[in-house]
Amino acid sequence: MSEERPPFGSWRRTYAAVIFYLILLIVLFTLFTWRWNQ
Amino acid sequence: MRPADWAVLAASLIGIVVYGLWKGRGSNTTAKYLLAGKTMPWYAMALSIMATQASAITFISTTGQAYVDGMRFIQMYLGLPIAMVIIAVWIAPRFHESGVYTAYEYLEGRFDARVRALVSAIFLIQRGLAVGVALSAPALVLTVIMGWPASVTTMMMGVVVVGYTVAGGIATVTWTDFVQMLIMTAGLLAALFCAIWLTPVSLGEAMDIAGAAGRLNTAVWTVNWNDRYNILSGLIGGMFLALAYFGCDQSQVQRYLTGRSITQAKLSLLFNAVAKIPMQFMILFTGAMVFVFFTFTKPPVTFNPGVEKRIESTAGYQVMKAEYDAAWEARRAAAAQVPVNAGEFKAAQKRFDAARANAGSLAGVAPGADTNYIFLSFVTKYMPVGIVGLIMAAIFAAAMSTISAEINSLATVSVVDVYKRHMRKEAPDRHYLGAARWATAFWGLYAVVTAQYAAHLGSLIEVVNKVGSLFYGGLIGVFVLAFFVPRATARGAFWGVLTGEAAIFYMWARTDIFFLWFNALGCLVVVAAGYCVSLLERADRPSRA
Repeated sequence: MSEERPPFGSWRRTYAAVIFYLILLIVLFTLFTWRWNQ
Repeated sequence: MRPADWAVLAASLIGIVVYGLWKGRGSNTTAKYLLAGKTMPWYAMALSIMATQASAITFISTTGQAYVDGMRFIQMYLGLPIAMVIIAVWIAPRFHESGVYTAYEYLEGRFDARVRALVSAIFLIQRGLAVGVALSAPALVLTVIMGWPASVTTMMMGVVVVGYTVAGGIATVTWTDFVQMLIMTAGLLAALFCAIWLTPVSLGEAMDIAGAAGRLNTAVWTVNWNDRYNILSGLIGGMFLALAYFGCDQSQVQRYLTGRSITQAKLSLLFNAVAKIPMQFMILFTGAMVFVFFTFTKPPVTFNPGVEKRIESTAGYQVMKAEYDAAWEARRAAAAQVPVNAGEFKAAQKRFDAARANAGSLAGVAPGADTNYIFLSFVTKYMPVGIVGLIMAAIFAAAMSTISAEINSLATVSVVDVYKRHMRKEAPDRHYLGAARWATAFWGLYAVVTAQYAAHLGSLIEVVNKVGSLFYGGLIGVFVLAFFVPRATARGAFWGVLTGEAAIFYMWARTDIFFLWFNALGCLVVVAAGYCVSLLERADRPSRA
C-alpha cells in the first residue's frame, strides 16, 4: 500500500469506518454497563 | 522508591532527552524550529498528539476519578472520533494548504488582523493558565513520594522540559512525545496488570465487585443537563471540546502542521480517533481495579498523607477510626457475597463512603478531595520494584510531553502572531529563530511560577477542563464562522467572539450548567451573534455606498 493512500481505499470509506467503530464502542460500553454495573 | 526504580526512572528520562535532542538537531531556521520543516511522518505526529493530550493529570486524576466516581468519565471522549473526522475533512487541509504557522494566522487571511489578535490573545490566556496546572501535577507526585517541596520539584521538571524544548524546537518535542507515549503505554499496561494481579480474587469476581459499587458505569443513557458525564454530553459536549482542542488549539494544531503531507496529517488524527478511547478505558479500568484492591486491603482514611496527619490529631479521631475500620470490615465481608447478594455490598459501600466523608470532615476537607493521591498511594506502597520506577517514568513522560507542546505553542503564537505581526515585521529569519527560543524559555519560566499556585486547586483534571471550556467556545465559534459561514465578515467574527465569551462567563458565574456544555453553547452564541453582525454590516454597506 502506498504511504499516501487512505487506509480503506478512499477517505470516504475510512471516515465511515471510524464512525462505525464509534457506534460499536457505544454498543459495547452499554453492554458492559448492563452486564457488570449492577 | 528503591534503587532499581530510580535507575528505571533516570534511564527513561535521560533516554528521552538524548533521543529527542538527537532527532531534533539542525533546527536552524524558524520553519524547522516551529514546523520541523514539514517532514514528519504520521506515526510520529499521531503519538505526539496523543502524548500531548495525555498529561500527568490523566494518569493521576483519572484513575482516582474511577476509584471514587466510576468509569463514566470515559463518555467524555465519545465525541472525539467525530471531531477527528470533521477536522480531517474540513480543518486540517485548509491549515495545511494555506501554509500557516499557527491556526490564528489563518484567521487574518479569512477575516482581518484584529480577529487574529483577539483569538491569539484568548489562546495565550487560556493555555497560559493551563500550563501551570500541567506542571504542578507531577510535582505533587514527588512531594508525596520524597517529601520535597513542590517549588523544588516544579523547578526540576521545568528545567528539563524547557531545556530540550528551547534547544530542539518542535522536532525534538515531537520525537520526545513519540518515546514518551511508548513509555506511557508500557507504564499503563504494567499498572493495569499489577492492579489485577494484586487483587486476591479473579478478574471476573473483581469486575462483579467494581460493578456492584457502580464503578463500571461506562454508558449512562439518562439525560440531565446538570449531570456531568452521560452519552449525550459525551457525544455533543465531548465533540465540541475535542473540536476546539484538536482543531483550534495551537498546542495540538502545531503537531499536525508538521506533517510532510496532508495525508500524513489526516492519518495522525484518525489514529487518535481510534486509539484514544481504548487508552482512556484502560486508565479508568485501572482505577476501578485499584478500588477492588482496596476492598481487600485496608486503605488509609484519606489518601492524602498530609490530611491524614491532621485527622489523626483531632479529638474525634478514635471514634471515627473505629467506625471506619468496622465499615471497611463489613464491606470486605460483603464483597464475598457479590454478585449473589450485591445489595448487602452496596449498603456496606454506602456506610464506608459515609465513614470516609466523616474522616475528611474532621480535617475540614470535602469528600473526594484526595482523588489525586489514590493512584500514587497505590503505586508506591504496593507495586513491585522496577514497576514503580516505570510508572513514575510514565507520569513524568506524560507531564513532559504536555508541557513541552504547550510552551512550544505558546512561544509560536507569541512570536508569529504577536511579535512578528505587530512589533517587528521585517527582520532576518535568524532574528525570529532567536525570538522563538527566548519566548519558549519565557513561557517555561512562567509555567514554573504559576505551577506553585495550581497545586491547591481541586481535582486537577476538572480544573484543566474548566479553564479550557471558558475559552474554547469562543475559539471554536470563530473557526466555524471562518470555515462554514461564507457571509461572515471580520467585524461579525470579532463581535461574535466577544459576545460568545461574555455568554460563557455568564453561564459559568450564574448558572449550574455543567462546564462541558460551555463549548457547544458558547460556539452557538459566537456563530449566531457573528452571523447577525455580519448580516447587519452587509445590509448597511449598499445604503452607504
